Amino acid sequence: MTALDRPVAATPRARRRRTPLTWFRGGGLANLLFLLPMLIVFGLFSWYPIVRAVIMSFQKTNMVQAATWVGLDNFVKVLHDPLFYTAVHNTAWFAVLALIFGYPVPLIAAVMMSEVRRSRGMFSALAYLPVVVPPVVAVLLWKFFYDASPTGVFNTILGWVGLGPYPWIQDATWAMPSIVLEATWAAAGGTVIIYLAALTAVAPELYDAAEVDGASIWRKIWHVTLPQLRGILLITLILQVIGTSQVFLEPFLFTDGGPANSTVTVLQLIYRYGFQNSLGGNYGAATALSVMLALFLALLSFVYFRLTRRWSQN
Amino acid sequence: MLVVFGLGPILWLAKAAITPTQDTLRTPMAIFPNGVAWDNLVQAWTTIHLDVQFMNTIWVALGSWIVQIIVATTAGYALSVLKPAYGRVLNGLVLGTLFVPAVVLLVPLYLTILDVPFIGISLQNTFWAVWLPAGANAFNILLVKRFFDNLPAEIFEAARTDGAGPFRLFWAIVLPLSRPILGVVSVFAIIAAWKDYLWPKLVLSLPEVQPLSVRLPQLQQTIDLGVYLAALAISTIIPIILFVFFQNLFLRSAGLGGAVKG
Amino acid sequence: MKSTRRLTASIAVAAVTVGMLAACTSGNSSDSSTPSTVELSVVSLIPGTEQSAFDAFNAQVAQFEALNPNIHITPVEYEWKADTFPALLAGGTLPDVYTIPFTDGRTMIENGQLADITSQVKALPYYDKFNQNVLAAGEDADGNVFALPKEAYGNGLQYNRSVFTAAGLDPDKPPTTWDEVRADAKIISEKTGMAGYMQMSQSNTGGWQTAVATYTRGGRLEDTSGTTVKATLNNPATKASLQFLKDLRWTDNSMGSNFLFDWGTINKAFAAGQIGMFTGGSDLYTSLIRENQLNPADYGLAPLPLTSAPDAAVLGGGTLAGVNVKVDDAQKDAAVKWIDFYYMQKYLNQDAAVLDAKTLSESNQAVGTPVLPVFDQATFDQSRIWIKPYINVPESQVAPFTSAIADQPLMTEPPTHTQDIYGLFDPIVQAVLTDQNADIDALLAAAQATAQSTIDAG
Repeated sequence: MTALDRPVAATPRARRRRTPLTWFRGGGLANLLFLLPMLIVFGLFSWYPIVRAVIMSFQKTNMVQAATWVGLDNFVKVLHDPLFYTAVHNTAWFAVLALIFGYPVPLIAAVMMSEVRRSRGMFSALAYLPVVVPPVVAVLLWKFFYDASPTGVFNTILGWVGLGPYPWIQDATWAMPSIVLEATWAAAGGTVIIYLAALTAVAPELYDAAEVDGASIWRKIWHVTLPQLRGILLITLILQVIGTSQVFLEPFLFTDGGPANSTVTVLQLIYRYGFQNSLGGNYGAATALSVMLALFLALLSFVYFRLTRRWSQN
Repeated sequence: MLVVFGLGPILWLAKAAITPTQDTLRTPMAIFPNGVAWDNLVQAWTTIHLDVQFMNTIWVALGSWIVQIIVATTAGYALSVLKPAYGRVLNGLVLGTLFVPAVVLLVPLYLTILDVPFIGISLQNTFWAVWLPAGANAFNILLVKRFFDNLPAEIFEAARTDGAGPFRLFWAIVLPLSRPILGVVSVFAIIAAWKDYLWPKLVLSLPEVQPLSVRLPQLQQTIDLGVYLAALAISTIIPIILFVFFQNLFLRSAGLGGAVKG
Repeated sequence: MKSTRRLTASIAVAAVTVGMLAACTSGNSSDSSTPSTVELSVVSLIPGTEQSAFDAFNAQVAQFEALNPNIHITPVEYEWKADTFPALLAGGTLPDVYTIPFTDGRTMIENGQLADITSQVKALPYYDKFNQNVLAAGEDADGNVFALPKEAYGNGLQYNRSVFTAAGLDPDKPPTTWDEVRADAKIISEKTGMAGYMQMSQSNTGGWQTAVATYTRGGRLEDTSGTTVKATLNNPATKASLQFLKDLRWTDNSMGSNFLFDWGTINKAFAAGQIGMFTGGSDLYTSLIRENQLNPADYGLAPLPLTSAPDAAVLGGGTLAGVNVKVDDAQKDAAVKWIDFYYMQKYLNQDAAVLDAKTLSESNQAVGTPVLPVFDQATFDQSRIWIKPYINVPESQVAPFTSAIADQPLMTEPPTHTQDIYGLFDPIVQAVLTDQNADIDALLAAAQATAQSTIDAG
């Protein structure tokens, strides 16, 4: 009820000429009705907890007694942790690698699948299967793949062509690229089906026209397929950056940040502050680091959307 | 390549489900060096009561799916097509939730679930505790809104001139056209609900209401690895079937070309 | 269409049932119908435990309620995990009595997250009989009691007997000094190609096992003798234990090719015969058999090699039974009564001991794993005699450990910021094992500085 009352009361004050009646006739109520599910669900289960988390970043608590205000102490604590800089560096490195490997892979896969008109369903199912595999199984299996002994799966295969054996996740330099490879495998299927869905919206006449013109397959992709995907490509790019900067599961399950902190990410640091090491006693630091991460991502997205605005509207 | 990396792991899981534990540990890539252990499957199904958790998993996935579809389509429609004046602000607020890591919300969100503001009840051990927070998914809204943005404006103009109100426009024009994106959101919603672990573990503490994704990891330390893998294999079959079903939805062309012409 | 409607109907039914379930449980814990009845929720058994064990547990609950008519027990299936603990604690949804690993118990006592049960525990008739070194795990620096040890173990040298045989070593003669460990590891590695020796290094186990190795060489990671706690991470014993790893890894090449292990994965690799020896808790047998199907004949357990240093000791560990900090005084009394009845009596009372052993053996769990005495040695020996007929652990194979452990001095973990300190060692151990040029002195000096500032920050 309150959600309904508020705008009705507020709007006339803001714009004197509009009365509740004109607001209603202008579709204001319908707008609100459509927004209601989102407002309820986000308000209660997203915005409200986020506000509480932000408040906690200025507090110290042991989860039992009432929290005490500590000002910026939690932020100072995080900035003084030598691991913080390692984690930021690693997370950036993961994001860059994921962009290089992970961003083109699903796009190429989707474009190729859309060219093959027949049995497209089967291909997309194959691409999507890794997403369905339970993470525990994926990690178990990839650890067998990444077995650093010469009898490990990858090392055996590479041994046939005279390469290796490589240390994979057992080495500070190799660990991160190895994790990115697995993460790309695990996540690419989701992006592929987003692209495929977007490609179904490409009007077939565009292709027919191109085919009549005798365009090569590459020209078709360049002039018809990619322009159609432009909007969605812009979105998936920023979503991937946001997603990879919050990477947790893979480094946590594979290496737990090792070897020698080479795969510790920001999210893992948050987990250690809040849970693993302090059992809630240092939750303030975990929320403080989250606030810093969120602010950084907000700024990044703002700049990104500003820079790409013209391109996306063309 | 696609076959090896897509199908390989699933086949391995299927193999491991009926391989004795020691073989899986010692020679993970060998194919049945010491015979087949069908017994793993039987044990997985019976001794650890998979059937109860199986139904729970289905409820959790189904409810999360419905909530996510409702929220994503209505919000996407309102923000993309109806465009109220405050839409930009809301859009920013929704996008903003993507920046906050979920793990840090564990405590505040849990406290919210235990005492929901305005209503004052606890959702602990009810499926609502999983369903409703699942609806607060900015990723879905972004995807759906972006898809609606790309629908040709002429369709809406034409419908409005025909006297269609916002509800008819939504129900008769927008929803049918958005089948591909709804297919995508459905797949994401169901698979995510199927795999989600930490949050449901927190709010569904009674074994009677726990889905497989919560129950299985807890059983890991009391059961044999072979049986555990068999249980995981069983739990993976359903999402694969569902995927094959849903992919028809979004791979079939939405007949957009026809709509624009007509 | 019809099927869809039925589906929706059953969803509604399911939701309602679940709602009622929730209502029932919350009703149980909040409203006490008569003021004299004390409601107490207690942790039951690990999820997945055999039904017969759950039946036996419920029978014990009934027996306890008969003895204490004013206490009503609600068993709750709950497993202590760091990831859900803060939320459950903040939400007040933890069971009133639950169990915690020693290491995390320390942190919780420091955080003020456990109820003080000093007066209740001191009133127990057998308070004087506690093994003081084990009891210390549940006490703060001033000797206030926050939790009671439900079981305790010492760290030992785990070794795979069939790997020893395959390498031509005598499985009945495990190494007794660190030099012999090194020599045997080298032989195993050369003869079988497996890792002769390994140490855990993930999820803070790197620090945990470095503490084990440090203690055996007479070192400590914290100095609590003064008024303020001093971190002593760069002590000679820790340096020696890291140098030991470095020698095995880079000089002897006797640690195989995979080095990142935590508690769960090292057990798997050990059960698969890929690791000859590693240090770990003496209670590991259960997990090795249950989860990983280790052939019981392959299991061997020896005492840790202690050097001649005057303070050389074995690091102990175990599980504590603690009481939720949010309970009232009546519940606190009832909670300690339950801990006494369910966790302590099996060490003190023949019937309880036999019942416990019988339940475990009937549900195919290990009975007689080599643990440490929670009470004095005489009480412990007596309880072992009671359960003798049910013991199913291959006793001769763990005899090297059991015959020696009573004479090894037992020490508790570093008392403050335990997990933080342990966490600092993970990257150091990993660096030593994966980087030939790792500079042990520099790594330890940096960790020492971080540890001290963490301790000083409180």
